[in-house]
Amino acid sequence: MNCAEVLRVHAYFDGELDAGEAASVRQHLGTCACCENLLADLERTRATLRAAPQIRAPARLRTQIDALLDAEPVRAVPRERPRVWRSRNFWLGAFAGLGTSAAAVALVLLLLIPAASAPLVDDLLAAHLHSLTGDHLIAVASGEQHTVKPWFAGRADVAPTVTDFGAQGFALAGGRVDELAGRRAAVMVYRHGAHVVNVFSWPANNLWRPRATTRRGYRMLFWQIGDVAYCAVSDAAWSELAALEDLMRTHAAIEQRSAPR
Amino acid sequence: MTDKRQRFEAQVLPHLDVAYRFARWLSSAPGHADDIVQDAVLRAFRGFDAFQGGDARAWLFAIVRNCHVTALSQQRRRAFVPLDSEEFVTPEPGPEDTALQRDASRTAARLLAALPAEHREVLVLREFEDMSYSDIARVLEIPIGTVMSRLARARAALKAIAANEPGVFA
Repeated sequence: MNCAEVLRVHAYFDGELDAGEAASVRQHLGTCACCENLLADLERTRATLRAAPQIRAPARLRTQIDALLDAEPVRAVPRERPRVWRSRNFWLGAFAGLGTSAAAVALVLLLLIPAASAPLVDDLLAAHLHSLTGDHLIAVASGEQHTVKPWFAGRADVAPTVTDFGAQGFALAGGRVDELAGRRAAVMVYRHGAHVVNVFSWPANNLWRPRATTRRGYRMLFWQIGDVAYCAVSDAAWSELAALEDLMRTHAAIEQRSAPR
Repeated sequence: MTDKRQRFEAQVLPHLDVAYRFARWLSSAPGHADDIVQDAVLRAFRGFDAFQGGDARAWLFAIVRNCHVTALSQQRRRAFVPLDSEEFVTPEPGPEDTALQRDASRTAARLLAALPAEHREVLVLREFEDMSYSDIARVLEIPIGTVMSRLARARAALKAIAANEPGVFA
């Protein structure tokens, strides 16, 4: 059971792969006895476990919970609400003179809901780490934007800016599609010296994102062009990631100008 | 009934059975599951205003698990129970099951009980509750990559235990 595909077989069995990935696992299963055995084991394990006793909450628990909820003060709010309002006014006051409402909002969100963005950051890290194991890194291997960009059509939820910056030190190695916060993100893979840079792209939403963050030593730089959000993940230096962002922004601006009206 | 209570009953309480089942597999004795779920539901109700929508089940499960972890650490502080001595009392099959089902059911419970808690919880979430990797990651507060590797290890461990029981993996 030492095949590099083991985790992908688990993910396939659990229905976590998109259609393209699932097809490639099925193809692999036909050629790898160890993974085929693994799949049979997974099915047996599941069948064995699902025979476990069907437990239901005892009726007394429901009664107790009803009583507990009844006993909760109906309005804890009168005491609490003024404090909430005051604190909100405080924030309004604190930023009133700045005129940078977007920055203020971002800062407050930063204080209030760091947890909300954590799953995205965790997903990005997991996807990046996963891409570095086995042959998951690249689904379409090409340094040619005219090959990679059309490959995303129908596979990913966005049509990102894709181009090769080999002359500037970022060689496009290919692309793949990763599940990211329920979206099919288009991922461009660049090689920069000894570093791999995964550039994730997905439809931008209103969820707060950090500008830059670090997880387990990997750097993540976020930016947005039009309605597409981007995140570059790599162990390369910040200045390198920023250089790649600049290149992609410049390229997107050129594309925009030359696009037929 | 207040609006908050109504929304809570509509969105969160439908998950009471599965939350209890999860607690039952987390905890060592049936009585503990009662306490943990009561505590968790109360905390969930008090924090319900902060619930931003999304999957109420995963949200409630994360609270149940936190309550379990807290209860466990308090219990240990009081009683000096070493970490690995927790004896897991397996749930019993229902009386309405046939003899064959009862056998399979006891086997499943015994196998799960033989696993370390870390393996048991990830298997319960995946195989019983059919949770996605990302929901499991939220409940257990670990990255998705860790969910994947832990699930693979848990399944391998279960297979190894089952291999020692003749007739389980026919």
